[in-house]
Amino acid sequence: MTENKIRVDARGMACPGPITELVKAYRNAKNGDIIEVLATDPGFKPDVEAWIKRTGNQLVEFKEEGGTYIAVIKVTAKK
Amino acid sequence: MSKKRVVIIGGGAGGAILANNLPFDEFDVTVVDRSPYHYYWPWLLYVAFKGSRKPMKREIRELLKPGVKFIQSGAHSVDLGNRKVILENGKVLEYDHLVIATGSRPAYDMIEGHRKIVEKYGDYHSSEENARRVWSTINSLKQGTFAIAVGGDPYRCPPSPLEGVFLAEEFFRSRGLRDKVRVVFAVPYPRPYPAEPMNEVVEPILEERGVEYITFFTLDKIDEERKVAISMEGEELKYDALVVIPPHVGTDIKISPEDVLTQDRFIQADKFTNNIKGYDDAFVIGDASAVPVAKTGVTAHLQATVVARRLQGEDARNNGRTNCPFDLGYGLGTFVISDYNNPVVKLPPSRFSHMAKLVFAAAYWDMIKYPELWNPIFDAYFEATEPAKLRRIYV
Ligand SMILES: Cc1cc2nc3c(=O)[nH]c(=O)nc-3n(C[C@H](O)[C@H](O)[C@H](O)COP(=O)(O)OP(=O)(O)OC[C@H]3O[C@@H](n4cnc5c(N)ncnc54)[C@H](O)[C@@H]3O)c2cc1C
Repeated sequence: MTENKIRVDARGMACPGPITELVKAYRNAKNGDIIEVLATDPGFKPDVEAWIKRTGNQLVEFKEEGGTYIAVIKVTAKK
Repeated sequence: MSKKRVVIIGGGAGGAILANNLPFDEFDVTVVDRSPYHYYWPWLLYVAFKGSRKPMKREIRELLKPGVKFIQSGAHSVDLGNRKVILENGKVLEYDHLVIATGSRPAYDMIEGHRKIVEKYGDYHSSEENARRVWSTINSLKQGTFAIAVGGDPYRCPPSPLEGVFLAEEFFRSRGLRDKVRVVFAVPYPRPYPAEPMNEVVEPILEERGVEYITFFTLDKIDEERKVAISMEGEELKYDALVVIPPHVGTDIKISPEDVLTQDRFIQADKFTNNIKGYDDAFVIGDASAVPVAKTGVTAHLQATVVARRLQGEDARNNGRTNCPFDLGYGLGTFVISDYNNPVVKLPPSRFSHMAKLVFAAAYWDMIKYPELWNPIFDAYFEATEPAKLRRIYV
């Protein structure tokens, strides 16, 4: 099985918000894939953390670079 | 000087407004649409939950100014490098400027079992026929669980799933069935409304009205035999009737080069100018575009205005403004207002906001047809309701 890297750019998205872009990428991903989301919305960090906690996927890295939040997620929880 | 040829594919909200905003002495404008009708999609909500029979479509030809040409045909393919559009009727159109405004459409193959439940219970993001089915679904449900689930992103109008929930709750209460019918809302997000500030407005209302909600529920499949919706992590939601907000995909046009399209067929563009990635003579506006704004008619309208001004040589730019009316049921409403630089405003519910939505709906056809009258009114409205200003009032 090959693992994919999916990159999502949600910078500037206030409504409906970057979490919707993460959810969309997650639908199309399979276990083992890496999703990287870029966002500027200040609510993004707590949302990603809550999402990871509830869905059981893995947060590989969360960083901030020059006003952009970058979340790197490994998909592991799909049934 | 010969007139510049502008081809607009799609005569919906974005395409029709753009066509009517271009001066005819400067441009030779052709609108192409597969359908003879322009639909006012927001009305599906009232067909589904109020049983409205008010007409929600008009002939595109009748909405366009007399100087605009209209061709009723689907666009089959677009060759951006050679400035050509090939129509489904075989005709080839050459252009100086192209604008794609083909909207988005529901995809029913992403969730197993989805088609079956749309045929049975209907939905309110696709057609009048399916919206009428929702109306008969809620009229025949006398007890049990009525569930609305967000099937996936993107979909048109971020508030619309919850608007359906609020109107359904009001419907069952008005029929005296609220103690027999549970209303449940399932979303893949951490909270009922994805943007936090607006959620702070709506979540207490859901609680007050006894609507149950399930968060982090990414719908994977629907088993109509067992009447359960199942999430990607295996969680189950039991229902008696289920309406799913379908995930939408972008254009069905074959575009070359193909790499301007995202995986789900939205067209990549500059979020300030709407230029298709790599092309200064081609644009995409409205739902068909892959820019980071909500898929709403207001967005399509604002982008159409920006592109009309750019075609006339001005350096107009989008600011990412959203302005989505949000029906909260019982005659109350709010608006989801934000832009590229400002998060969503926490605008409290009011009767005024709901009225504004209805007034807008009543004036819709006039707004499309006479932009010269409405543009100054919109400019004044958007200026008075800038999110940066509102945020100082509603903290
Ligand atoms: C239930 C619901 C509620 C909503 N509420 C609101 C609201 O309150 N406020 C708001 O602002 N927005 C709302 N919206 C969203 C709004 O309707 C859309 O965002 C808007 O219609 C987008 O305009 P558009 O021009 O991009 O696409 P559309 O209006 O969908 O027009 C696209 C046109 O392109 C044509 N087309 C497609 N493919 C082709 C092809 N290959 N060749 C030729 N023609 C083609 C179609 O026939 C169609 O006429 C709502 C939507 C729904 C479903």
